[in-house]
Amino acid sequence: MDLLFLFEWLDTSFLASISKAYGGLFAVVQMFHLAALAVMGGMVLASDLRLLNVLLKEVPADEVLNNTNRWFDYALIVILVSGVFMASAVAMKLYYNEMYWAKMAGLFVGMAFVYLIRRPLFRDGIEGVSQSAIKVIAISSIVVWVSVAACGRWIGFS
Amino acid sequence: MNEILLSFARWIDTQDWSTQIHESIYLYSWIETTHVLTLMLSLGMLVIIDLRMMGKTFTSIPAAELAQRLNRPMIIGFAVMFVTGILLYYAIPVRTTQSIWFRIKLVLLVAAAINAYLFHRAMRASVDTWNTAEVPPDRIRRGAATSLVLWLGVVFTGRAIAYDWYDCHKPQSEFVYWIAGCVDELAALPQ
Repeated sequence: MDLLFLFEWLDTSFLASISKAYGGLFAVVQMFHLAALAVMGGMVLASDLRLLNVLLKEVPADEVLNNTNRWFDYALIVILVSGVFMASAVAMKLYYNEMYWAKMAGLFVGMAFVYLIRRPLFRDGIEGVSQSAIKVIAISSIVVWVSVAACGRWIGFS
Repeated sequence: MNEILLSFARWIDTQDWSTQIHESIYLYSWIETTHVLTLMLSLGMLVIIDLRMMGKTFTSIPAAELAQRLNRPMIIGFAVMFVTGILLYYAIPVRTTQSIWFRIKLVLLVAAAINAYLFHRAMRASVDTWNTAEVPPDRIRRGAATSLVLWLGVVFTGRAIAYDWYDCHKPQSEFVYWIAGCVDELAALPQ
Protein backbone atom coordinates (compact mmCIF):
# COMPACT_ATOMS: atom_id res chain seq x y z
CA MET A 1 0.00 0.00 0.00
CA ASP A 2 1.45 3.33 -1.05
CA LEU A 3 1.31 5.85 1.79
CA LEU A 4 2.44 8.77 -0.36
CA PHE A 5 -0.97 10.46 -0.03
CA LEU A 6 -0.60 10.46 3.75
CA PHE A 7 2.78 12.18 3.57
CA GLU A 8 1.51 14.69 1.00
CA TRP A 9 -1.37 15.50 3.32
CA LEU A 10 0.95 15.80 6.33
CA ASP A 11 3.31 18.03 4.34
CA THR A 12 0.55 20.57 3.73
CA SER A 13 -1.23 20.19 7.06
CA PHE A 14 -1.65 22.85 9.76
CA LEU A 15 0.88 20.94 11.86
CA ALA A 16 3.46 21.25 9.07
CA SER A 17 2.87 24.98 8.78
CA ILE A 18 3.80 25.29 12.47
CA SER A 19 6.73 22.86 12.50
CA LYS A 20 8.24 24.45 9.37
CA ALA A 21 7.78 28.03 10.54
CA TYR A 22 9.06 27.76 14.10
CA GLY A 23 12.55 26.22 14.23
CA GLY A 24 12.80 26.86 17.96
CA LEU A 25 9.59 24.97 18.65
CA PHE A 26 10.81 22.12 16.45
CA ALA A 27 14.02 21.94 18.52
CA VAL A 28 12.07 21.89 21.80
CA VAL A 29 9.84 19.09 20.51
CA GLN A 30 12.96 17.24 19.41
CA MET A 31 14.32 17.60 22.94
CA PHE A 32 11.20 15.93 24.36
CA HIS A 33 11.52 13.21 21.71
CA LEU A 34 15.09 12.53 22.86
CA ALA A 35 14.22 12.75 26.56
CA ALA A 36 11.36 10.30 26.04
CA LEU A 37 13.78 8.02 24.19
CA ALA A 38 16.01 8.09 27.27
CA VAL A 39 13.08 7.25 29.56
CA MET A 40 11.87 4.47 27.28
CA GLY A 41 15.39 3.09 26.90
CA GLY A 42 15.87 3.16 30.66
CA MET A 43 12.65 1.23 31.21
CA VAL A 44 13.48 -1.30 28.49
CA LEU A 45 17.00 -1.87 29.81
CA ALA A 46 15.96 -2.04 33.47
CA SER A 47 13.20 -4.57 32.81
CA ASP A 48 15.03 -6.67 30.23
CA LEU A 49 18.31 -6.75 32.13
CA ARG A 50 16.29 -7.85 35.17
CA LEU A 51 14.73 -10.66 33.11
CA LEU A 52 18.27 -11.65 32.10
CA ASN A 53 19.31 -11.59 35.78
CA VAL A 54 21.92 -8.89 35.16
CA LEU A 55 20.35 -5.93 37.00
CA LEU A 56 18.20 -5.50 40.12
CA LYS A 57 18.54 -9.21 40.92
CA GLU A 58 17.26 -8.70 44.48
CA VAL A 59 14.01 -7.16 43.23
CA PRO A 60 11.25 -9.56 42.06
CA ALA A 61 11.09 -9.46 38.25
CA ASP A 62 7.31 -8.92 38.29
CA GLU A 63 7.81 -5.85 40.45
CA VAL A 64 10.33 -4.43 37.98
CA LEU A 65 8.00 -5.13 35.04
CA ASN A 66 5.02 -3.51 36.79
CA ASN A 67 6.99 -0.38 37.59
CA THR A 68 8.64 0.02 34.19
CA ASN A 69 5.57 -0.75 32.01
CA ARG A 70 3.73 2.42 33.00
CA TRP A 71 6.67 4.75 32.28
CA PHE A 72 7.38 2.89 29.04
CA ASP A 73 3.81 3.71 27.96
CA TYR A 74 4.17 7.40 28.88
CA ALA A 75 7.46 7.63 27.00
CA LEU A 76 6.03 5.89 23.94
CA ILE A 77 3.12 8.36 23.81
CA VAL A 78 5.54 11.32 23.94
CA ILE A 79 7.72 9.70 21.26
CA LEU A 80 4.74 9.10 18.95
CA VAL A 81 3.21 12.57 19.38
CA SER A 82 6.52 14.43 19.07
CA GLY A 83 7.52 12.13 16.20
CA VAL A 84 4.43 13.06 14.14
CA PHE A 85 5.15 16.75 14.76
CA MET A 86 8.77 16.39 13.70
CA ALA A 87 7.80 14.29 10.66
CA SER A 88 5.38 16.97 9.52
CA ALA A 89 8.29 19.40 9.02
CA VAL A 90 10.06 17.10 6.54
CA ALA A 91 7.28 14.75 5.48
CA MET A 92 8.22 14.38 1.81
CA LYS A 93 11.91 14.01 2.59
CA LEU A 94 11.09 11.23 5.05
CA TYR A 95 8.87 9.43 2.57
CA TYR A 96 11.91 8.86 0.35
CA ASN A 97 14.28 8.04 3.26
CA GLU A 98 15.00 4.32 3.67
CA MET A 99 16.24 4.71 7.24
CA TYR A 100 12.94 6.33 8.20
CA TRP A 101 11.05 3.31 6.92
CA ALA A 102 13.45 1.00 8.76
CA LYS A 103 12.69 2.94 11.93
CA MET A 104 8.93 2.80 11.33
CA ALA A 105 9.09 -0.94 10.65
CA GLY A 106 11.09 -1.43 13.85
CA LEU A 107 8.70 0.78 15.81
CA PHE A 108 5.64 -1.19 14.72
CA VAL A 109 7.38 -4.52 15.31
CA GLY A 110 8.43 -3.24 18.74
CA MET A 111 4.93 -2.08 19.68
CA ALA A 112 3.38 -5.35 18.44
CA PHE A 113 6.04 -7.26 20.35
CA VAL A 114 5.35 -5.37 23.60
CA TYR A 115 1.55 -5.26 23.50
CA LEU A 116 0.76 -8.54 21.73
CA ILE A 117 3.52 -10.84 22.99
CA ARG A 118 5.57 -9.57 25.92
CA ARG A 119 2.86 -8.16 28.16
CA PRO A 120 0.25 -10.91 27.56
CA LEU A 121 2.96 -13.52 28.21
CA PHE A 122 3.96 -11.95 31.54
CA ARG A 123 0.44 -10.83 32.54
CA ASP A 124 0.20 -13.42 35.33
CA GLY A 125 3.84 -13.10 36.30
CA ILE A 126 6.98 -14.74 34.94
CA GLU A 127 6.58 -17.87 37.15
CA GLY A 128 4.98 -20.07 34.52
CA VAL A 129 7.22 -18.95 31.64
CA SER A 130 10.30 -21.01 30.75
CA GLN A 131 13.71 -19.48 31.39
CA SER A 132 14.69 -19.79 27.73
CA ALA A 133 11.52 -17.97 26.62
CA ILE A 134 12.19 -15.18 29.14
CA LYS A 135 15.73 -14.75 27.83
CA VAL A 136 14.61 -14.73 24.19
CA ILE A 137 11.95 -12.11 25.01
CA ALA A 138 14.42 -9.91 26.90
CA ILE A 139 17.17 -10.05 24.26
CA SER A 140 14.67 -9.48 21.42
CA SER A 141 13.25 -6.48 23.24
CA ILE A 142 16.66 -4.84 23.70
CA VAL A 143 17.65 -5.53 20.08
CA VAL A 144 14.37 -4.16 18.68
CA TRP A 145 14.33 -0.93 20.69
CA VAL A 146 18.03 -0.14 20.32
CA SER A 147 17.64 -0.71 16.55
CA VAL A 148 14.66 1.66 16.42
CA ALA A 149 16.67 4.33 18.25
CA ALA A 150 19.74 3.80 16.05
CA CYS A 151 17.66 4.00 12.85
CA GLY A 152 16.11 7.20 14.20
CA ARG A 153 19.53 8.79 14.58
CA TRP A 154 20.63 7.63 11.15
CA ILE A 155 17.68 9.34 9.45
CA GLY A 156 19.68 12.53 9.89
CA PHE A 157 22.79 11.02 8.28
CA SER A 158 21.14 9.40 5.27
CA MET B 1 39.86 33.46 28.01
CA ASN B 2 37.95 33.18 24.71
CA GLU B 3 41.20 33.79 22.80
CA ILE B 4 42.88 30.90 24.66
CA LEU B 5 39.93 28.56 24.05
CA LEU B 6 39.84 29.47 20.36
CA SER B 7 43.60 29.01 19.97
CA PHE B 8 43.33 25.59 21.61
CA ALA B 9 40.42 24.64 19.33
CA ARG B 10 42.35 25.82 16.25
CA TRP B 11 45.35 23.77 17.34
CA ILE B 12 43.15 20.65 17.66
CA ASP B 13 41.70 21.48 14.26
CA THR B 14 45.16 21.13 12.72
CA GLN B 15 45.50 17.54 13.98
CA ASP B 16 45.17 14.84 11.30
CA TRP B 17 42.93 12.65 13.45
CA SER B 18 40.49 15.46 14.03
CA THR B 19 40.11 15.99 10.29
CA GLN B 20 39.90 12.27 9.64
CA ILE B 21 37.07 11.76 12.16
CA HIS B 22 35.23 14.81 10.84
CA GLU B 23 35.54 13.78 7.22
CA SER B 24 34.95 10.07 7.74
CA ILE B 25 31.71 8.85 6.19
CA TYR B 26 30.81 6.44 8.97
CA LEU B 27 33.07 7.00 11.99
CA TYR B 28 31.68 10.40 13.00
CA SER B 29 28.12 9.13 12.53
CA TRP B 30 28.78 6.06 14.66
CA ILE B 31 30.40 8.13 17.41
CA GLU B 32 27.40 10.45 17.45
CA THR B 33 24.96 7.52 17.34
CA THR B 34 26.75 5.91 20.30
CA HIS B 35 26.66 9.25 22.14
CA VAL B 36 22.89 9.52 21.64
CA LEU B 37 22.04 5.85 22.20
CA THR B 38 23.94 5.77 25.48
CA LEU B 39 21.32 8.25 26.71
CA MET B 40 19.14 5.16 27.13
CA LEU B 41 21.58 3.72 29.65
CA SER B 42 22.88 6.81 31.45
CA LEU B 43 19.80 9.06 31.52
CA GLY B 44 17.49 6.05 31.55
CA MET B 45 18.94 4.80 34.85
CA LEU B 46 19.15 8.35 36.22
CA VAL B 47 15.46 8.90 35.45
CA ILE B 48 14.49 5.71 37.33
CA ILE B 49 16.56 6.76 40.36
CA ASP B 50 15.14 10.31 40.31
CA LEU B 51 11.57 9.08 39.85
CA ARG B 52 12.03 6.79 42.86
CA MET B 53 13.38 9.72 44.87
CA MET B 54 10.25 11.65 43.85
CA GLY B 55 8.02 8.77 44.97
CA LYS B 56 6.76 8.13 41.42
CA THR B 57 7.96 4.58 40.79
CA PHE B 58 9.46 1.52 42.52
CA THR B 59 7.95 2.88 45.74
CA SER B 60 8.03 -0.55 47.42
CA ILE B 61 11.81 -0.82 46.91
CA PRO B 62 14.10 0.96 49.42
CA ALA B 63 15.34 4.11 47.66
CA ALA B 64 19.01 3.74 48.60
CA GLU B 65 19.17 0.15 47.36
CA LEU B 66 17.58 1.00 44.04
CA ALA B 67 20.02 3.89 43.58
CA GLN B 68 22.95 1.69 44.53
CA ARG B 69 21.93 -1.06 42.06
CA LEU B 70 21.43 1.34 39.16
CA ASN B 71 24.48 3.48 39.85
CA ARG B 72 26.94 1.22 38.05
CA PRO B 73 25.12 0.97 34.68
CA MET B 74 24.39 4.71 34.90
CA ILE B 75 28.08 5.54 35.44
CA ILE B 76 29.10 3.19 32.61
CA GLY B 77 26.63 5.05 30.38
CA PHE B 78 27.95 8.46 31.40
CA ALA B 79 31.54 7.28 30.87
CA VAL B 80 30.73 6.23 27.29
CA MET B 81 28.92 9.53 26.72
CA PHE B 82 31.92 11.43 28.08
CA VAL B 83 34.39 9.63 25.81
CA THR B 84 32.19 9.95 22.70
CA GLY B 85 31.47 13.57 23.64
CA ILE B 86 35.22 14.33 23.76
CA LEU B 87 35.61 12.65 20.34
CA LEU B 88 32.76 14.73 18.89
CA TYR B 89 34.42 17.89 20.21
CA TYR B 90 37.80 16.70 18.88
CA ALA B 91 36.28 16.21 15.41
CA ILE B 92 34.72 19.71 15.21
CA PRO B 93 36.63 21.82 17.75
CA VAL B 94 36.36 25.39 16.46
CA ARG B 95 32.64 25.52 15.73
CA THR B 96 31.88 23.63 18.97
CA THR B 97 34.03 25.98 21.06
CA GLN B 98 32.11 28.90 19.58
CA SER B 99 28.71 27.28 20.03
CA ILE B 100 26.54 29.11 22.54
CA TRP B 101 24.64 25.83 23.11
CA PHE B 102 27.79 23.87 23.84
CA ARG B 103 28.79 26.49 26.40
CA ILE B 104 25.38 26.38 28.10
CA LYS B 105 25.52 22.59 28.01
CA LEU B 106 28.85 22.59 29.86
CA VAL B 107 27.43 24.97 32.49
CA LEU B 108 24.40 22.70 32.92
CA LEU B 109 26.66 19.65 33.21
CA VAL B 110 28.62 21.35 35.99
CA ALA B 111 25.34 22.36 37.68
CA ALA B 112 24.07 18.77 37.38
CA ALA B 113 27.31 17.45 38.89
CA ILE B 114 27.08 19.90 41.83
CA ASN B 115 23.41 18.99 42.32
CA ALA B 116 24.29 15.27 42.26
CA TYR B 117 27.01 15.82 44.89
CA LEU B 118 24.71 17.82 47.17
CA PHE B 119 21.88 15.36 46.58
CA HIS B 120 24.01 12.36 47.54
CA ARG B 121 25.33 14.17 50.61
CA ALA B 122 21.79 14.98 51.75
CA MET B 123 20.71 11.43 50.96
CA ARG B 124 23.54 9.78 52.88
CA ALA B 125 22.89 12.01 55.90
CA SER B 126 19.21 11.17 56.21
CA VAL B 127 18.41 8.07 54.16
CA ASP B 128 17.90 5.85 57.22
CA THR B 129 14.85 7.89 58.20
CA TRP B 130 13.05 7.60 54.82
CA ASN B 131 14.71 4.77 52.88
CA THR B 132 11.58 2.63 52.83
CA ALA B 133 9.10 5.51 52.67
CA GLU B 134 7.02 5.55 49.48
CA VAL B 135 7.50 9.29 49.15
CA PRO B 136 10.86 10.72 50.34
CA PRO B 137 11.07 14.12 52.12
CA ASP B 138 10.61 17.40 50.25
CA ARG B 139 14.28 18.32 49.92
CA ILE B 140 15.10 14.93 48.40
CA ARG B 141 12.22 15.24 45.92
CA ARG B 142 13.34 18.76 45.03
CA GLY B 143 16.88 17.53 44.42
CA ALA B 144 15.60 14.75 42.15
CA ALA B 145 13.34 17.16 40.24
CA THR B 146 16.25 19.60 39.83
CA SER B 147 18.37 16.78 38.47
CA LEU B 148 15.71 15.90 35.87
CA VAL B 149 15.29 19.53 34.80
CA LEU B 150 19.06 20.04 34.48
CA TRP B 151 19.45 16.89 32.39
CA LEU B 152 16.52 17.91 30.19
CA GLY B 153 18.47 21.13 29.63
CA VAL B 154 21.60 19.13 28.79
CA VAL B 155 19.64 17.09 26.22
CA PHE B 156 18.16 20.25 24.68
CA THR B 157 21.41 22.18 24.46
CA GLY B 158 23.23 19.07 23.20
CA ARG B 159 20.73 18.71 20.38
CA ALA B 160 20.72 22.45 19.69
CA ILE B 161 24.49 22.44 18.95
CA ALA B 162 23.54 21.15 15.49
CA TYR B 163 21.55 24.33 14.75
CA ASP B 164 23.42 27.34 13.36
CA TRP B 165 21.12 30.08 14.67
CA TYR B 166 23.85 31.68 16.79
CA ASP B 167 26.93 30.66 14.82
CA CYS B 168 29.71 33.25 14.57
CA HIS B 169 29.54 33.42 10.77
CA LYS B 170 26.02 34.83 11.00
CA PRO B 171 25.31 38.44 11.97
CA GLN B 172 24.69 38.45 15.75
CA SER B 173 24.37 40.99 18.51
CA GLU B 174 27.52 41.98 20.40
CA PHE B 175 26.23 40.05 23.42
CA VAL B 176 25.89 36.82 21.42
CA TYR B 177 29.34 37.31 19.88
CA TRP B 178 30.72 37.76 23.39
CA ILE B 179 28.94 34.83 25.02
CA ALA B 180 29.70 32.50 22.08
CA GLY B 181 33.33 33.57 22.07
CA CYS B 182 33.32 34.92 18.49
CA VAL B 183 36.71 36.57 18.97
CA ASP B 184 37.34 37.66 15.35
CA GLU B 185 33.80 38.95 14.83
CA LEU B 186 33.94 40.95 18.08
CA ALA B 187 37.24 42.51 17.02
CA ALA B 188 35.78 43.44 13.65
CA LEU B 189 32.83 45.31 15.17
CA PRO B 190 33.02 49.11 14.74
CA GLN B 191 34.15 50.71 18.02
